[in-house]
Amino acid sequence: MLQLLYSTALVLGRGVGYTVVLFLVTIVISIPLGLCATFLSNSKNIILRSLTRGYVFVMRGTPLMLQLFFFYFGLPFLPFIGRYLVMDRFTAGCLAFALNYAAYFCEIFRGGLLSVDKGQYEAAKVLGLSRSQTMLRVILPQMVKVVLPATSNEAITLVKDTALVATIGITDLLHYAKSLVNSTQNVIPYVVAAIFYLVVTFGLTKLFNMLEKKFAF
Amino acid sequence: MINIHNVTKTFGDNNVLRGITLHLEQGKVTSIIGPSGSGKSTLLRAIIGLERIDGGSIAIMGEHFVENGIYAHERACRRIQSRMGMVFQHFNLYPHMSVRNNLTLSPRVVKHMSREESDALCTGLLARVGLSDKIDAMPSSLSGGQKQRVAIARAMMMEPEILLFDEPTSALDPELTGEVLTVMRNLAASKMTMVIVTHEMSFARDISDRVIFMDGGVAAADGTPEDIFGNFGNPRLSAFLGSFATGT
Repeated sequence: MLQLLYSTALVLGRGVGYTVVLFLVTIVISIPLGLCATFLSNSKNIILRSLTRGYVFVMRGTPLMLQLFFFYFGLPFLPFIGRYLVMDRFTAGCLAFALNYAAYFCEIFRGGLLSVDKGQYEAAKVLGLSRSQTMLRVILPQMVKVVLPATSNEAITLVKDTALVATIGITDLLHYAKSLVNSTQNVIPYVVAAIFYLVVTFGLTKLFNMLEKKFAF
Repeated sequence: MINIHNVTKTFGDNNVLRGITLHLEQGKVTSIIGPSGSGKSTLLRAIIGLERIDGGSIAIMGEHFVENGIYAHERACRRIQSRMGMVFQHFNLYPHMSVRNNLTLSPRVVKHMSREESDALCTGLLARVGLSDKIDAMPSSLSGGQKQRVAIARAMMMEPEILLFDEPTSALDPELTGEVLTVMRNLAASKMTMVIVTHEMSFARDISDRVIFMDGGVAAADGTPEDIFGNFGNPRLSAFLGSFATGT
């Protein structure tokens, strides 16, 4: 039994790399991108604002799987520019994930921004802080506290969503689990894959709990 | 010191300030009283630039902040604004920072003061408001009265020449107003120029060199505390003062 688990884990291990890297790339790109989108969606410039809101609407309003197909299979068929938009599977996957999650983060951060009392801006203003100093020193730290629980939720959802890239043929954890189940006629690989996802989400939960404690005030 | 001329301000179709003209002097304590909606807070916020006025002029110590409804350039506005401090009804302390950082943030990042220098200033001011032992406390652990005293010390950190108070005791439990009023009395005794919007009638009467009664967006009565609180010739003022059973 242990032997079986070990050999299964060994095979699945080949897919873990894609899963983990996709997760990390998505987080590292989508959080700053989402924050930028938050500021743009509050911009005084109506064009920037509408574009950002439109982007959020489209990314949140369509299935992530459709977006994956669109970036990997669809873009190359665009007239004229399509041939420059041929990406390898993993790049297309990362792009779709980052853009999709940035839209969700944008909305989470927008809520966080709204939750900061307007008296904080006024206090900072009469105390001479510039707009960027106010943002960096006063508003963002308070926003972080508010958005952490929802961000943690998104991060956990992302871990599980990474499994979707199997649909564009990326050989991630789930891809190996599925083929192993097929070839061995045994359910164990699914169980091992499930354990892997659970371990990662458990770790993330702990990490965000720590962060929440750190940003509590 | 503060020259306010014919200032108007409208929120929607509500004319909050209807051409108010005032001249406030240096080293004096001026209280602004009046019913809610009379425009007193709006006037105070306009003086420090938190509210944009629609017309009229505001000059602080000879420098025009707004002239005939046209604002000075942003840099000039900020320079003029930096000569004033403000204390808010809801304190507006930075909740994520210790008392020390609440006080020293602006001196350090705006005035580029060294940590030693700003810490020394901070220690001195906290002693002045009687909160030396709270220097490393977080705002959430303080009582309302303590928060407001910290807020006053924080405003003083920028060494303002004028201190504006927007209903500084209105959010406090009655038993906590005393400690804040004491701090303000001490400031007044040190010849700080203060403008106070307040509902504390006995305090206004006691501390002020001058009291302005605002009603309907203009200064409806203006004089020494004796003039204002002794004079019942103005029916609106009498009605207003009469509504404070214990205040007068």
